[in-house]
Amino acid sequence: MDRLAGGDLGALELLYEQFGAMAFSIAYRITGDRSAAEDVVQDAFLGAWRNAGRYVDARGSVRTWLLSIVHHRAIDAVRRRRPTVELPDSETNLPDSLTLPDTWGDVELRLDRDEMQVALGTISVVQREAIELAYFGGLTQTEIAQKTGVPLGTVKGRLRLGLQGLRAALMPPVDGGGGGG
Amino acid sequence: MAEHTFAGLTCSDVQDLGAGFVLGALTPTESDAVRRHLAECPELHAEMAELNSVVPALFEAVEPVAPPAGLKDRILAAAAADLEARLATAQQAAAPSPAEATRPAPPARRAVPTLPVEPARGWDLGALLRRPVWAAIAAAALVAALALGAWNAQLRDEVAGLETYRNGVVQVLDAAAKPGAQLAVLADPNGAAGPTGLAAVGEDGGVAMVMRNLAPTAGSQVYEAWLIGAGQVPVAIGGFQVGGSGSASFVTAHAFLGEGVVVALTLEPQEGAKTPTMPILALGTARAAQSS
Repeated sequence: MDRLAGGDLGALELLYEQFGAMAFSIAYRITGDRSAAEDVVQDAFLGAWRNAGRYVDARGSVRTWLLSIVHHRAIDAVRRRRPTVELPDSETNLPDSLTLPDTWGDVELRLDRDEMQVALGTISVVQREAIELAYFGGLTQTEIAQKTGVPLGTVKGRLRLGLQGLRAALMPPVDGGGGGG
Repeated sequence: MAEHTFAGLTCSDVQDLGAGFVLGALTPTESDAVRRHLAECPELHAEMAELNSVVPALFEAVEPVAPPAGLKDRILAAAAADLEARLATAQQAAAPSPAEATRPAPPARRAVPTLPVEPARGWDLGALLRRPVWAAIAAAALVAALALGAWNAQLRDEVAGLETYRNGVVQVLDAAAKPGAQLAVLADPNGAAGPTGLAAVGEDGGVAMVMRNLAPTAGSQVYEAWLIGAGQVPVAIGGFQVGGSGSASFVTAHAFLGEGVVVALTLEPQEGAKTPTMPILALGTARAAQSS
């Protein structure tokens, strides 16, 4: 990251080789359009290139940092297609996920796609749908309530219980307790 | 957990909005309020961090899709252009105006605020040194002025390096923009810090190259650039020497060696090397600079 912050193009190339395919997959999943996904990925890598100095090591891996920026910009691109939505300033705001401490470290690095699919299978269909509409559809919880025809409180509950269910499925068992909350 | 209210939200409100917050499913107004509450609230809101910890795992749920072949080169070319713009800005910011570079008066003026000298006439160092009370201060000001001069010399070196690099980047990008050109990003092959740069390999085989972070050459030493084609035999394409600026660029004609040629840089004891002297300082593979 120091090399990236210092304007090292080789470091940027390395970053792309490590995460470019994943970044494009996420951008494409959200925008549903290859051209838009390309723009998002380019925008995100250039953003990372310009703001590498703002990367805070303690808040998670470079992978999470970069892919969160990709996600943030892709959601932004999708929301810009809906002119009635209140838009954040994507240049100055970091994704909210990056403003919180990462208490789980790099657990996600040890995951693979199959494990994630299994974990998703442990939560209910409606919880999964709510999470997907929020995280990959770019809908606010109010919009999800309108789209699915359920009360806002139900959507909030589905999102919370869904995330808690995924956490329970993905968290490795910890001997000796300490995982309470 | 005690109930606090910040940014118009109670702790319970924040808990209620937590999943939406970490998933980005709140309106910007709601998100701002949660963010401000979290910043001010004495409660840890550990539930928020727990929910947030799951979010990166969602990336694993995404079906892999191969990115377009030209995307990486587009990004690198855009970054190089961005770098050029940044260097130009840094150059403007760093370049001292001639008046500022040669003016020792400000520090001395601050050091002797009550000295009865008319500012409009400037500083008479001889007169200052003749006054024993102010001699030490004036000497200190003189040292400061000399240090300022040395700093200016160093700055000029840095600016010269930035300018060389910027002009080189422009040259390389111009060459890379031509049809059939390939662009290579050069960096330490082991990922260590060191010389970095760009090289454009034209359709006719000609190479435009720019490097920075180079140690100054000494005596007959030269930096030698090499092309390694499909035959795996390194071919020397030209050498250059580097001064204190640490940056250099050059353009050379050469026969086309094919797609995906590797561009490398070594430090040779003298001109005319037929085989590269290890280690390779920087290396990059040339790839089509224009996506189809």
